[in-house]
Amino acid sequence: MRLDLMIMSGVEDGLRLSYNIENGDGQLSEDQATWKVSIGRKDDSDVCLRYDSFISRQHAYICWDNNQWWLEDCGSTNGTFIEDTDSDARVSGTIPIEVSQLFRVGHTWMRIEETDE
Amino acid sequence: MHVISLKDILINARQESVQMRHHYLGVEHLFIAMLQIQAGITASIIEDYGFTAEYVIDAIRRKTDKGSNQRLWAGFQYTPRTEVVLDVTNDLAMDSNLPEATERELLIAILTEHDSLPIRVLQTFGMNLHAATLAAIGYDPKREPQTPDMNVLFAESYDATQPIEREQLFVLRRMFVGHKTIRIEQRLTGFSGALVLVVTPINADDHEDAPMVVKIQDADSILDEVHRFEAHVKSSLPLQTARLEDSPVKPENSDLAGIKYTLVAHSGSVPMDLRHRVQISGTADLARLLQKELFSQFKVTWWQQKRPFRFQAWKEYDWLLPPLLTLDFIPENDEPEMPLIVKIPINRAKLKTKLTALQFGDDVVLENFTVQKVDRQNNVLKLAVGFGSEADKRAYKVEMRGVNNFSKTFYRGEVVEHLVGTVWKTRYDMMLDAVRDLEPDFEPDDRWISLEEIQLPNPLLAYENLLDRHINGSMSKIHGDLHLGNILVGPNNSIWLIDFGHTRDGHTLFDWATLEVSLLGDALMNGFESDWNTIRGIIKALVTMENGHEPSVANEQISMMLESITALRNIVRECLTNEGNWYEYYIALALCALRAITWKTMSLGSRRLLYLVSAMAILEMNRKYLNMALETPSPDLTDVLPRIPTRDPNEL
Repeated sequence: MRLDLMIMSGVEDGLRLSYNIENGDGQLSEDQATWKVSIGRKDDSDVCLRYDSFISRQHAYICWDNNQWWLEDCGSTNGTFIEDTDSDARVSGTIPIEVSQLFRVGHTWMRIEETDE
Repeated sequence: MHVISLKDILINARQESVQMRHHYLGVEHLFIAMLQIQAGITASIIEDYGFTAEYVIDAIRRKTDKGSNQRLWAGFQYTPRTEVVLDVTNDLAMDSNLPEATERELLIAILTEHDSLPIRVLQTFGMNLHAATLAAIGYDPKREPQTPDMNVLFAESYDATQPIEREQLFVLRRMFVGHKTIRIEQRLTGFSGALVLVVTPINADDHEDAPMVVKIQDADSILDEVHRFEAHVKSSLPLQTARLEDSPVKPENSDLAGIKYTLVAHSGSVPMDLRHRVQISGTADLARLLQKELFSQFKVTWWQQKRPFRFQAWKEYDWLLPPLLTLDFIPENDEPEMPLIVKIPINRAKLKTKLTALQFGDDVVLENFTVQKVDRQNNVLKLAVGFGSEADKRAYKVEMRGVNNFSKTFYRGEVVEHLVGTVWKTRYDMMLDAVRDLEPDFEPDDRWISLEEIQLPNPLLAYENLLDRHINGSMSKIHGDLHLGNILVGPNNSIWLIDFGHTRDGHTLFDWATLEVSLLGDALMNGFESDWNTIRGIIKALVTMENGHEPSVANEQISMMLESITALRNIVRECLTNEGNWYEYYIALALCALRAITWKTMSLGSRRLLYLVSAMAILEMNRKYLNMALETPSPDLTDVLPRIPTRDPNEL
């Protein structure tokens, strides 16, 4: 299983990050059904966004579960958002997220990229 | 034209980045720097799509937000995306054998990279990026702006007492480039300061196109309307209605812009707005038009798509009232010692007590208000709770006067952390002024206004409490400005709506309360005297009608008025959230009618009538509230309730 993320704004705009379950990235649940990749400002986050001061230490998770990507907000201070027509819609709890759909943690926009797999 | 080099753009982009407290160089900074070039390629291409450079810059800044005060890295780095874009830019310059890269190569690189934040913003405007790229590649710097040679005729029916200003005519000409002549059929009335016309374009071979509706207004409003139409309206319109045609037109040397609405279906005869029609042919057929044409055509995609919506009245209705505060700006180094701090999110209970004590000259600090508009002409910064079309984001308006003194740049949609000013006027002051302008035959701040044996609550003392009420209502797509001037009647009595500048998801009954206010104030009040006796007579008849009695009115005009109102109320009945519970409607009506007294363009008689309509709606609402409250008595009931005269329902 592989997760490719592209940062879409801020000082790291355009940076592509790659995570692979085989390299031990992220956390695998005990029953091996769910794979979780953490996003936050703290150093041991999988996706460590230290340049955005609007991001909480443990901000959000991206999970692979039931053949689908999910975005989970961990009660972050400044919120996790998905793009909506007028303003951004704040994510509470866990919502499904599509490949290439934009979402924002703190002030940083990102999206999940297509992978070859 | 002077060719701008990449080097110069980088310098300006860096400045933009520092101003936004970003301290890195992103594609968004490059793009804004390019838009800021006078008569640059980027700005020209944007303008060809009918947008202004300023509008796009504001939208990009909103999307990025200002950075924090705290710096998290040293130096000034380029983002990975910027590196890619600059590589492509330099390659393009080398391919063309240029000594250095220029604006054109950078623009082409950004457009073809197509994933950056400014490009995503342009996509939300419905811009065709492929066409824009081709335009950038083939851009001719020597092109002249077209100065169309065109006849502008006025139809015989056109009321020449309202001249069209030169600048408006200029925009109008630009909108119909390619036509030999245009004929202005009619001017439709609006409140917003927009010029709305029905125009027939005539081709070189004298063939007349179908008449269309043209709206000319300040560019920001027009572009917001286009944006709204793209995002919300387009997909939810019933088949037969006005549609936005072409891109907006924004001449570079004017602050105005224009859009066209085409009226699909019938052609051949000129549509007329309902206000005009009522003036000419009275209210005959009005009831049928409202019910059978307007409501039944649009309800399927709009008002009938309602879902439960429980809200406090201020969320939908606060923005209708005058600004909460009008302040005079104080520079930051002149901070007062004990100011009143008003911060978002607002604590209503606290604010209400503080506001009543506030006086001219008192110091106020605003925290986290959002810029709605930077009105440079009048030196006013207009602020509110948030940004967007939803009513609750436009609530708690505050105006800060003295923009000239601002040393910082502000953009629409910016959240301003800290602003200080002294009170010039509170909302109550403004409402009081408006009531005094009515030359009331009661004291403006009397608790009650008497109507023979009934005591009407004075809206001036009631509105703040109204805004606190909880409404068990419903939400649907609403037009947002459904007054008679925005409803057009075409041949065969078909109905079109125009002007979707305020279309949003909101309280379903908002449209109908707005329409009732328009019916009473714009149409039905014509032909009545404006003295208080006449006004009270009308209100009396309305109160009688509210109670379900056949009013024994001798006056034929009044009974015609009641007929139209009854037709409208039949529509409202179908839209009520809980069958037979009119509470939510009376709150909406009370606040929509109250708003009208601040409209300077409305006649004195209409404003007087609507003030008492507001009072009457509060009375009716309190009765409903009383019925609910009697089951669960509350200690503060006396605060909101008028003395209800007991009377025998059979008496009237």
